[in-house]
Amino acid sequence: MQKEKAISVTGITKRFGEITAVDNVSFDVDEGEFFGFLGPNGAGKTTLIRMLTTLLKPTDGQAFVSSFDVVKDPAEVRRNIGVVPQAMTSDLDLTGYENMDLYGRFYGIRGRERKERISDLLDKVGLTSRSGDLVATYSGGMRRRLEIARVLVHRPKLLFLDEPTIGLDPQSRRVVWDFLEKLIEGDSMTIFLTTHYMEEAEALCGRVAIIDAGTIIALGSPAELKAQIPGSDIISLTLETLTDEVVRRVEELPFVHKVKTEDNSVRVYTDNGARNLPSLIDEVRKAGGSVQSATIHEQSLEDVFIHYTGKSIREEEAKKVSFLVGAGIPQKLGR
Amino acid sequence: MIRLLAVIERDLKKFRRNPVVLAMSILMPIIYLVILGNSFQGKLTGLPVAVVSRDTGPFAKRLVENLRAIEAGPATFTLIRMTDSREAIDGVRKGRYKGALIIPQDFSRRMTLKGRPEVGLFLDNTDGISSETIRNLVNSALASLGSPYVPIRERADIAHLRDINLYPKVDYYQSLVPGVVIMAIFLGTLTTGAFNLVMDRFLGIDESYLLTPLSKSHIVAGLIISGLSITTIIATVIFTVSVLITGIPLARAVQQCASIFLVIVLTTLCLLSLMFVILGRIGHPRIVGILSGFLNVILFFPSGAVYPVASFPGWLKTFARINPEAYAVDALKSILFKNAPVTSISGDLAFLAVFTAVMMTTSILAFKRTL
Repeated sequence: MQKEKAISVTGITKRFGEITAVDNVSFDVDEGEFFGFLGPNGAGKTTLIRMLTTLLKPTDGQAFVSSFDVVKDPAEVRRNIGVVPQAMTSDLDLTGYENMDLYGRFYGIRGRERKERISDLLDKVGLTSRSGDLVATYSGGMRRRLEIARVLVHRPKLLFLDEPTIGLDPQSRRVVWDFLEKLIEGDSMTIFLTTHYMEEAEALCGRVAIIDAGTIIALGSPAELKAQIPGSDIISLTLETLTDEVVRRVEELPFVHKVKTEDNSVRVYTDNGARNLPSLIDEVRKAGGSVQSATIHEQSLEDVFIHYTGKSIREEEAKKVSFLVGAGIPQKLGR
Repeated sequence: MIRLLAVIERDLKKFRRNPVVLAMSILMPIIYLVILGNSFQGKLTGLPVAVVSRDTGPFAKRLVENLRAIEAGPATFTLIRMTDSREAIDGVRKGRYKGALIIPQDFSRRMTLKGRPEVGLFLDNTDGISSETIRNLVNSALASLGSPYVPIRERADIAHLRDINLYPKVDYYQSLVPGVVIMAIFLGTLTTGAFNLVMDRFLGIDESYLLTPLSKSHIVAGLIISGLSITTIIATVIFTVSVLITGIPLARAVQQCASIFLVIVLTTLCLLSLMFVILGRIGHPRIVGILSGFLNVILFFPSGAVYPVASFPGWLKTFARINPEAYAVDALKSILFKNAPVTSISGDLAFLAVFTAVMMTTSILAFKRTL
């Protein structure tokens, strides 16, 4: 028998006026999978998650979440899932405990059981000692942990996390990751996560869909995705001036799989970069180029993104000014 | 049920944690009573009027005496005797006097010869209320010039007016109490109920509530119930305080208070559901700020709380007919000042109930369960 699908999406599309935020996206997520959507800000990740979690109506296409149609049966979908939105949504005027307690009641969980689950979850995210304080006094990392714990009170089979570590310092990010890893170990929970941090997708997700400008450009496990680009390492060289002659000579080297150029730098796809670097630099010199700097790194999902789109996720990130304001809906067309 | 109670409790908790809001909602309408009561006394007193008499004849003297009598009696104006008419008129222009009365030299002579006697009254007509009052009083002083003497005893052949007040006398402060209670309800309903929706939306925390299995009616009904309890408490406190301050006599205190409470509850529900319709889709508190001033003016002034509805022009009367605050004011006045039984305000109560039902249905239908 085939595994039950936790999420099944066909041709889902969302347009805000002229802008197509999500364009004809289809994919399936199996039960128990840790599935990630990786892409730069503005790629359509939040819009997609909002359609799957019934907050936005799709312009076109279909989506089943926990076997319920998100358009026809939104109430059933909401009952079965837990969602941590990108923006911080815990109530500042209430204590950590009260935030969790309210959520439990919204899901209809009764007294004693609710209490037990809450104290257990608060313990897991390390907030027991602060649970009586107003959320207004929490740090960003604490708030995020509380919000993740809050959507687990009703024990959802399917958890959606929209950029769970955005705006967190590296240490808080580590804590959130550890907690998420612990979560999937025990339960048969399905987790759907969006992120623009490739380390996050690589470290946590079993399968990753890379999304750019509203469409999926690649889908597979991190290893499979990386296997699609030639070589295992990438050497980046910055030259004083990059000439066609340099590029031609480098491309002809036997250990070079592929070369990409950008302004005055070249990205060279190769295996065993550390051993090949000296001969690469020699070749550039012979062709009349002068190398100003060189870096070697192992391929990451970032390179997969560059391979398919010709641009880096980080560049895209730098262009966006504010990610917290109106994520998911273009401001002009939003609320 | 567990969900509805959770929505209510959340709202009440958040309100309790903000005692400044509570203190302000109680104090402001009471201060309003004091300011409004002192600024529109109901009748005018002490308007400065300059008088220049260039006539020494008997009729000029009579006229001034008549005016003096008004000054000494109801004290509507204060007379300032002057000799230079130009200076008097100039004083009106500069705002020192509300009016200047100039009696010309030949006034008494013309009175005796029936030669169209005239006096000049220069009024600061930019202040309509004062100038109208002065004109009327001077006219009446002129009218009584014709009779040769002031009647000391009532004459049998002249018809007399005997006015009978149907209800105990209501002084001006007391007459403002219904308005103050309505004002308290308005402020309460504006800052609870739908306003919480606007704030949650503004802070972006509505998303986390929309993601839960809460239904539209859980959210709307929950916020209305918490808003109702907060506003009812505030309005009842204000009602009690203002009745004590102004000393309104309550002959059947228990029944009257029970009826008042009923009117307060119903009016609160009515305005809360109206606010849901108006603010239901607004996402910024600044818009609420702009709307609050506007709504207060269009609901409060045509309610009859300050000025009687009967004196409105036709179109405004029509508006008062659909204005819930007008029905609330009418009901409160009937109970407070006429000691009327609940049955006599059933029309008002029915209107408020129907209005509430229509608005609440509209707001639940119009409520967007998506972002």
